[in-house]
Amino acid sequence: MGAPQAYDADEIDDLARRAQDGDRPALEELLGAIRPRALNVCRGVLPHSADAEDACQEALINIAGKIDGWGRRGRFTTWMHAVAVNSARSTYRRLKNQAVPADPQETGGGSLERPDPRTTSVIAGTRLDLLEAMETLEREHPQVVEPLLLRDVYGLPYEEIAQLVGAPLGTIKAQIHTGRKLARPLLRGDDA
Amino acid sequence: MRHLLLAVPVLSLAACSGAAEAPLLERPAGAEAPGPVALVAEAAAAYDGVADPALDVALSEPVEDSVYPRVGDPGVDALHYDLDLAWDPDAEVLTGRQTLLLRSTEDDDELQLDLSPELRPDDVRVDGEEVTWRHEGKDLVVVTDVVADERYELSLDYAGTPLPVPAPTTRGDFATNGWTTMPDGSTWTMQEPHGAYTWYAVNDHPSDKALYDISVTVPEPFTGIANGELVDTTEADGLRTTTWHLAEPAASYLMTIATGDYVLSEDESASGVPIQYWVPRERQRLARTLAPTPEALAWLEEILGPYPFDTLGILLVDSESGMETQTMITLGMTDYTTSQAVVVHELAHHWWGDEVGPSDWRDMWMNEGMAMYLQGMWQAEEDGYTVDELMDYWASFEDEERAAAGPPAAYDPATFGESNVYYGPALMWHELRRDIGDELFLELVRAWPAEHSNTTSSYDEITAWFSERVGRDLSGFFDAWLLGETTPPRG
Repeated sequence: MGAPQAYDADEIDDLARRAQDGDRPALEELLGAIRPRALNVCRGVLPHSADAEDACQEALINIAGKIDGWGRRGRFTTWMHAVAVNSARSTYRRLKNQAVPADPQETGGGSLERPDPRTTSVIAGTRLDLLEAMETLEREHPQVVEPLLLRDVYGLPYEEIAQLVGAPLGTIKAQIHTGRKLARPLLRGDDA
Repeated sequence: MRHLLLAVPVLSLAACSGAAEAPLLERPAGAEAPGPVALVAEAAAAYDGVADPALDVALSEPVEDSVYPRVGDPGVDALHYDLDLAWDPDAEVLTGRQTLLLRSTEDDDELQLDLSPELRPDDVRVDGEEVTWRHEGKDLVVVTDVVADERYELSLDYAGTPLPVPAPTTRGDFATNGWTTMPDGSTWTMQEPHGAYTWYAVNDHPSDKALYDISVTVPEPFTGIANGELVDTTEADGLRTTTWHLAEPAASYLMTIATGDYVLSEDESASGVPIQYWVPRERQRLARTLAPTPEALAWLEEILGPYPFDTLGILLVDSESGMETQTMITLGMTDYTTSQAVVVHELAHHWWGDEVGPSDWRDMWMNEGMAMYLQGMWQAEEDGYTVDELMDYWASFEDEERAAAGPPAAYDPATFGESNVYYGPALMWHELRRDIGDELFLELVRAWPAEHSNTTSSYDEITAWFSERVGRDLSGFFDAWLLGETTPPRG
């Protein structure tokens, strides 16, 4: 297999400077380059690999959103490390809080929806069948869930999803395609 | 000498009918069902039954993997896979008819292969007799009495909608392995360390090399592309069937298959190796970026000796990594993956990786260290700096990669194929070169694949071979570089 593209600390600093100046492709490349480091940080906080993956996505989103906070004095990787640690910790706290069982009163006595911690705030109460379909998918094909939600619920462009999820564009397109195919039969009133 | 690219459009000019896909929340009223894509008549068997001595070149000694033990089964030594595949890009159904000639390595009452749960087997036979079987997860267990060293013909039909499987890596350029379907119905696969089992029943382990004959039937304007030599193309009733023959045994992770609206260009190396470039019609201009391939091959042949196979191809797909799939390199269409450095890397693997490769995934360094080192030698020459300067640069971050993903031959199983298996082992080879001198080093770099053609090797075998040929015990040197938690001191 071809080697992962190599970046030294200078190159990462350079990408980060360009990203701060609004260079979108540089930001995307930067996030790809630092993903392994961010994931390592998150693994330190959240040993369960699926949780660490979640925290890593969130860390990358935070890094992208707060990139102006890097003062260009020290290494970008040092700053990024701190953001990733904070992000992983907040993911951990949130996952822990959400582990508390839901109050049956609040769910109207119907089936107990166990929210997907990453997506509840957006889709709860709108499409419960979609939420349930995502939960089913999460068990069998976990890799397709997040790209599918980002596309069909959040309406993000494919390239942005690829960047957020930290996976190649082609993979993302294929995952969304697969996810739709798998989710359709699970949706309310759909017999496709 | 630069060779002219002769664009030979063998495919019809009909436009691809990839209709835009509706998102989940705006469902179409109902998709109409197109006609099925069925298998066409089978070609004659390539080998004269299990006893054909021509199969002996594919004899292996399969082992259980120390890193990914759940994939592959050391009870099976696959000799030849005959795959007749049909892909329906509208229905997204893969239909397969498979005949596997194999040697059992043990006395047992079962044979086990890897086959994705998405593919439903049917009509499973051993030596023509229908047998019972179980499909448990990705394990296809065939109930039949087998005797050690006896050979059997296992045949089955299968069908389903293939899905890729998660790849055990944190690399940014791939996340899943195996059969991957794009929204327009075109498909591709990359499958290191495993994932071949998403499209056929296979002993999906690098220690078991086998021969292949593959036919792929797809509706025009699609073409199916696989490893080896394109020996036949037939078109009938709107379906195109291409037949591919792989003349030398390959590990399953080195297999490739793609379908789509492709354009073929043909070329030839100075040494006479026929070369095919398969480029998606809508990205046809990318064929130009592959034009320096014969030069890259000539550069490597100067160092490593003649290219060890009869044919070469490069297949471009919608991925973001590059793969040394045997005799048909599979490359993503990014600037990086179509760069000459990556082409040199994947070509170098045809000696170090394909001709002889690791028998266990712990030893991926065996492939990547030398391919990276040869790529580095090429880069240094191309860009006008010394190999020493390049090694200093690589060393500036190698310790960090080693700390992140583990020692090259004792890596974290969740970090397959990360930088630690590339740069540290490349530095190691450079240290050996400085120690034993250019002449002996380059002689051994050429001799290792030439003397181990069509085999696999363990850590102990390759390190002992180098010790013997250098004339002194190098085990401490190799262990320090490959198993050490920190980078050994460089000379």
